[in-house]
Amino acid sequence: MAVLGADHRRDYGIRHYPLLIYALTPLTALVLQAWLPHLLSAFFDLPLLVTIYFALVRRDSIQGTLMGGSMGIFEDALTHHAIGVNGIAKTVAGFLAGSVGVRIDVENHTIRLMLTFLLSLLCSAIYLFIYRVLLGMDLQWSWLTELAKAVGTSMFAMVLFPLLDRMQIRE
Amino acid sequence: MDSFFTRYRNLLVLLAILLAQIIGLAMQVRRTDSGRNTVDAHDPPGVRLIRLWADAVVTPPEQLFHTSKLGTVSLWQNYLELRGVREQNKDLQKTIDRLRLEQASLIEDAKQGERLQALLDFQQRYIYKTLAAQALGSSGSDTSRVFYIDKGSANGLERDMAVITADGIVGKVREVFPYTAQVLAINDQTSGAGVILETTRIRGILRGNASGRLQIVGLLADQRIQPGEKVLTAGGDQVFPRGLPVGVVLGVAPDPERDSFIDVIVKPDAHLNQLDEVLVITSTEPRFSAEQQRDMAASEQLKGTEAAAIKDQQKASQIMAERLPGLTDPNAPATNPAASPATGNTMPGAAPAAPAAAPAPKLLPARRPDRFTPGATPATGATPTPEVQENKPAPKPKSNTSQPDTSGRNP
Repeated sequence: MAVLGADHRRDYGIRHYPLLIYALTPLTALVLQAWLPHLLSAFFDLPLLVTIYFALVRRDSIQGTLMGGSMGIFEDALTHHAIGVNGIAKTVAGFLAGSVGVRIDVENHTIRLMLTFLLSLLCSAIYLFIYRVLLGMDLQWSWLTELAKAVGTSMFAMVLFPLLDRMQIRE
Repeated sequence: MDSFFTRYRNLLVLLAILLAQIIGLAMQVRRTDSGRNTVDAHDPPGVRLIRLWADAVVTPPEQLFHTSKLGTVSLWQNYLELRGVREQNKDLQKTIDRLRLEQASLIEDAKQGERLQALLDFQQRYIYKTLAAQALGSSGSDTSRVFYIDKGSANGLERDMAVITADGIVGKVREVFPYTAQVLAINDQTSGAGVILETTRIRGILRGNASGRLQIVGLLADQRIQPGEKVLTAGGDQVFPRGLPVGVVLGVAPDPERDSFIDVIVKPDAHLNQLDEVLVITSTEPRFSAEQQRDMAASEQLKGTEAAAIKDQQKASQIMAERLPGLTDPNAPATNPAASPATGNTMPGAAPAAPAAAPAPKLLPARRPDRFTPGATPATGATPTPEVQENKPAPKPKSNTSQPDTSGRNP
């Protein structure tokens, strides 16, 4: 793993994308996340994937935090649960991805996949913590399902990340 | 101070956003009388507004996806299925006619049941009116099994209306927006439907578990519950009418929290994960719908036609029977006088005829009698005199053909 200094990354490694990509990618992820489980099982988390990707390549914790928070709140709004549970989980995931993006080589596919897998599991753990501890509500939980979801999200990352890589503005 | 904010800017932004969301969460959760925390079933105005925005953003692209998918699928299916549709149509027409006749008798039973229920002061709710809707998309989360349909308050939908398919129940309307509605599926953890096992008549509450499987929770262990038994709605939850199919029992699992209690795992009849079209029960009334009444009228008409046809057939048979030469003499008296003690023709002292004896048929005299002629004397050829015949009571016939009348008409 090539670990470089934060300043070096910040100066030379920030990627830029067309504005349309910034607008359409999260929206498409949210729509597909709502529509695809209609055809497939919901063993993936596209909004989390988009949050992690942009937080990593932009190397900006605040951007990752804001994007994660807004994506999570949007997801919560489509459920019948309290709004903010997914929001908090994805806020933390976006912040961590942005923080890690400054310190690691984000070009490496294996690292990105591992990070996606771990952040997906972390999101599930935060979700469970908020629901059971913070809110004190009953929620049946299956870690096997969450593990499958983390694997599914990583599989989607294998396709989506290279696709988004191609759309960056090259100087 | 300025450097503090600059240095910890990222962390401060994170904390601010987290704090705001935690406060927002605290405002949505309330404590029930039983001491448990729960999210209010009715969203506060602010939360409802966020849901409305999210729905307004997601629904149009979903409708576009869904319409495209349906268009492609129907185009392909129409091409494939057009060939056999004429024969299928004929078969279906026959089936409809047969079902209408069956329905007429069933409706008569239902009417009787309704009258009896009225006598018992029990209001049975029948499905009165349904509205077809397309399932657009889901919540995208496996912890919230809700989906959206393309009908809303503009189409007359309200909260807590039951959502079904032809196969079985699906869920209930949880939130209604102007042109869409959110449906809580029956396999969600927070869902609940009153159900009854068809054979054993055991009642329970149906809900989903973490993996989205249906289970009837909190039942006392009962050996009678066997896999394959049908599960129906019980009708006590004020959402689903009674008797709708829910699923079949897959098996029984012990309740992890309480001893001697079991959870019954149920396989749903409706395909909950792949829903396209659903029906929303917009009205349940204790009477028959206009459509049902039309069907009843059609059934009555069909029944009338059939009855008239049967009557015509019977009449034709009678006419034919009258025209054809028969064995019986139409001019003969209706009963055998010798067999009836009420006629007074019996001689004093003669044994009365058996009351159970059936009247013997009056046979026409044969033109050329032979030994096979009924009533002919067998080998001896001795013909009994009329006096003897009159004094003897009519023998009890073993059958209509073996015991001919001997009242003197035979030579």
